[in-house]
Order: sequence, then C-alpha cells, then structure tokens
Amino acid sequence: MTRPVLLVTVAVLILAPLALPPFYLQLLTQIAIAGLFATAFNLLMGFGGMVSFGHAAYFALGAYAPALLVKQAGWPMLLALPAAPLAASIGALVFGIFIVRLTATYFAMLSLAFGQIVFTIIFKWKSLTGGDDGILNIWPPDWLKSPAAYYYFTVALVALALLALHMIVESPFGSALKAVRENPRRARYIGIDVRRHQLMAFVISGFFSGLAGGLFAFYNGSVFPDFAFFTKSFEPLVVALLGGVGSFFGPLVGAFGYTLLEWLISRQWPVYWPLFLGGAVIAVIILLPNGFIGILEGRRWTRLARKD
Amino acid sequence: MDFITTLFPWLTNGSLIMIQVMSGLSVGMFLFLVSVGMSLIFGVTRVVNLAHGALYMVGAYLLVSLVEFLPDRWWGFWLALLLAPLGVALLGGAIEVALLRRVYHRDPLMQLILTFGLILVIGTLVLLVWGPDNKSVQRPELLDGSVMLFGQFFPSYYLLVLVLAPLIAIGMWFVFYRTRWGMLIRAATVDREMLGALGVNVAALYTQVFMFGSWLAGFGGALAAPTVAVALGMDSDVLTNAFVVVVVGGLGSFAGSFIAALLVGLLQSFGILIFPSISIVLLFLVMAIVLIVRPWGLLGRPEEH
Repeated sequence: MTRPVLLVTVAVLILAPLALPPFYLQLLTQIAIAGLFATAFNLLMGFGGMVSFGHAAYFALGAYAPALLVKQAGWPMLLALPAAPLAASIGALVFGIFIVRLTATYFAMLSLAFGQIVFTIIFKWKSLTGGDDGILNIWPPDWLKSPAAYYYFTVALVALALLALHMIVESPFGSALKAVRENPRRARYIGIDVRRHQLMAFVISGFFSGLAGGLFAFYNGSVFPDFAFFTKSFEPLVVALLGGVGSFFGPLVGAFGYTLLEWLISRQWPVYWPLFLGGAVIAVIILLPNGFIGILEGRRWTRLARKD
Repeated sequence: MDFITTLFPWLTNGSLIMIQVMSGLSVGMFLFLVSVGMSLIFGVTRVVNLAHGALYMVGAYLLVSLVEFLPDRWWGFWLALLLAPLGVALLGGAIEVALLRRVYHRDPLMQLILTFGLILVIGTLVLLVWGPDNKSVQRPELLDGSVMLFGQFFPSYYLLVLVLAPLIAIGMWFVFYRTRWGMLIRAATVDREMLGALGVNVAALYTQVFMFGSWLAGFGGALAAPTVAVALGMDSDVLTNAFVVVVVGGLGSFAGSFIAALLVGLLQSFGILIFPSISIVLLFLVMAIVLIVRPWGLLGRPEEH
C-alpha cells in the first residue's frame, strides 16, 4: 500500500463513525476482524506455503479463553482479552509441533483433524464451555459498548496487529520463511532450520487468529462451538483466495468483499449462503485455474524439489 | 488391584466387557465402510475426498426417503438399502466427471479446497431437499429387537452390520487380488502414468473407483440410518472419525483401514467406559501418537512428492 492510500484509508476509518449509522460500523468491525483472521492465516498460506484447514481452532481458542475468564472467573474484559492470543498461540504451538512435521496434503489434513478436536472438546465439555448453548452475555465495559467505541477499539487493535504482521513479513524471519516456501531443501542447505521457522510462523499465525477470535467474542457478546467448526476454517481460506494470496493486504481486501457479500446474501437468503460460498469456490478453482490462485500453483515446481 | 476394580467396576464383569467388544466392533465396521472408500479413492486418484462424509449423509437421507416411498412391506427396507447406495454412487460419478476430473493435475491443495467446497454445497442441498428436521427410520421388523448375548441385551440390528461389513471386506479383497479390475486398481496406486502408457483407460478407472468409493460411503450411511438420528451434522461427525481411521491406518491402505476402524471402534466403546467425557480425546491421542511414530500411518507408505 502506498503512503497516500494508507493516509486516506486511515482518515476514512477515523471519520467513518461521524458519517455512518451504527449498523455499518458493526459491519466494518466485522470486516476488520475477518481481515485480521485472514491475514494471520495468509502468513502461513501466502508467505509460508502451508495451508491450514483447521484455523478455526485458534480463532475459537481466542474467543473462548477470554469468554471463560469473564464468565467463570469474573475478570473484566480488558484484562481477559490478552488471554485470547495467548491461549491460541499455546494451542498453535502444541498442535503445530505435530502439524509442521508433515507437508502439503498431510499438513492440511492433520490441521483439520486438530481443528475438529478443538471443536469436539468445546462441544462436549458442557460443564465448562456450555456445549451447544455457548457462553452468553460477555460484553465489553459500558464505555466500550457502543458500536462506535467498539469499532475504534477493534480497528485500532487490528491496525496494530497488521503492522506487527507486516513487520514480521518484512523481517529477516519473513524472508527466511519465504525461502522455505520457495525451496525447503535449498533453505536447509543455507542453514535455515525449516521446521522451526514453520512452527514459529504457525504460532504467530495462531496468536493473531486468536486475537481476532477474542475481538469477535466481545463484538458478538457470546461465543459458540461453531467458531471452531471446520466451515469456519474455510472462511480465512476463501477470504485470502478472494483477495489474493500473494500480497500482504490481499486478504484484507478479500475480507471487505467477503463480509459485504455474506451480509447481502444471507440477509436475503440465509440458507443459500453456504451453497453460494461452496459453489463460488468450486467455480473459481475449475474456471480460473490461472487466476488469482495461480500464485499458489506457481509453487508446484518447488514441490518437486522437496523429494527428499 | 482393589483400587483398579473400585475405579472400574466393569472390569470384573466379563459379559459387559464382551458386549462392549461387540458394540465396539460394530461401530468399527461402520467406520470401515466409510473410511475404506475414502482411502481407496485417495490410493488411486491421490485426492483426499473431504466430501466423503457428505456422501455418507446423502446415503442415510436417501434411505429414509426410499423407505417412506416404497410400499410398507417387509422387503421395503432391504430394497431401499440396495438402492440408496447406488444413488450415492451415481452422485459420486457425476461429481468425478464434472469436477474432480479437472483438478487431478493441479496442486493437491486445490483438490482439497474443491472437496471442502463440495461439503458446503451438498450440505445445503440436503437441507433444501429434506428440510432442517431430524429424520428417523424404523429398523426392519426382523432386526428390531434385541438378542441375548453373554447374558446382556444386544441390539440385533448391529448383528447385521457385524455380518455385512466383513462380507464386503472379503468381497473387496477378492476383487482387488483376484480380478483384472482389482489388478488395475492396484497398478494405478503404484504408477498411474505407466498404467496409462500401457493402454489402460485411466480416466474411466478413476470414475469407477470414485463411484465405488461413493457407493461404500452411501452404503455406510444407509446402514447407519436406522441406528442414529438422520440429521444435517452427521457428515462432519463421520468425517472426523473416518479421518482418524484413515490417518491411523495409512492413506490408501485397505488392510490399514480395516485394522484402524476396529481399533477406533473399540477405543470408542471402551473409552466411554473409562473416561466418559473425554473418550473422543483418547481417540485423537492415539492418532497423534501414530503420527509421531509413523506419519504415514500404520500400514501406509511414506509420502511422495
């Protein structure tokens, strides 16, 4: 993003509450959260070349950890929120140790399996998580409750998180991660610890996915096991694909389009939304083989090089 | 020893243990039907079909509709049990020809995303066709009751599964190792390009294998329909379990699926006795251990790129 674009965006975001009715601020809040989730996911997919099919797990850990602290331990929201990225990154570390041992298909499958474990635990552990009923009535303090206040809060935190992610991508660590994506064997020969870099990326991605989950929990006022369900894992994937996997801000643009589309379609025909989403993804894969997902496919030659 | 028997009083109850073994085996048999299809499809086409659970669900719903539609006679259920999986096989064939065929040469992740998208599409279509309410279907009269086994009641319907699934396993073994078609399938799992170069119509073989795998999923779903509430979430439940089976047994391994399915079935039925609330975690713990020791599964082959 160039400097003028950035400045205009910041100005628009700051001034938005003056012009927009509360409903649209809530929509923007949602977009910011979805954008953070997808950008965190894309740190793995776009920059690390690892596609996780279970990222909802870290979103849900991030949503449930502060929700439980507020509900069970009576913590105030602002004290509980840091638990979101913390719990999610611990989860990402524990699962990631196993997941990064595998590559490509097996990587995706194991991440999906771990995602389903988290879902099942949340769903079955009724005494702690409320099971299917979720945890209700977890709101931010009164001064943060209004759509405009929570909008500012979310957008500011998301902006900070994106800045941090951007710095990570541009750092030596980010470059090493890209080297691992392009050619793991060569990366190893020049002294990069491939697994450790992948694991670190996984934990960082989990950290920010968890922050997105925590922000969403207090936006929503309640958390449900659905947050961990595999259809939720599909969301950052589609958002990132829509916006462009290769660029840092792609997923953010994708989140904008995706959230607007979801709102428009599920307002009219809530039942058809998954059909539309699934159909759109299939159509993109079949009809646009070299479209915006060409970036992913371009890595194919590197996969051949992994034969070791 | 006293400590253990106080903690798990069922340990001294031999007949209860036997019943748990039986029910574990029947759960394992259901899982075998579903996961062996998923494993077979992967072995030949190298596509992990995430929509396999959705096909299983369609099998169950089709059975419900067919039983309602067919005349209310004793053979109605059996005819439905025959037809429902065939319907699923046709659906699978259509999916393979229209969609999957176009992505075999693509990045494996694109294939995963495609079948992930199929889950959403099939799920919504099922909702639109059959509505949001749970369905149930009567067990056939012959198998509606219970039988006495080891001094305990055991639902006689499960005996059907305990008989049918091994029969299918034996039939599959026969097809794989004693027929030309089976030979082609085994050849395709080893080297597809060579098979094609030798003049075998590999595209048609893929379609057939996908249809057969879908038939297995549909059969599993139809067979399970009278034992569960036929509901919209059933696809993801079975997908999770089939996943564990396939990963533990090894993708593409026929025998691996069978052994892992039995293992998972037994783990589930005893897990409920030992750790009632976290039996499912036990399952995934086993999977994690297998993946640490042998990432490609008990009987699978190491990953190739």
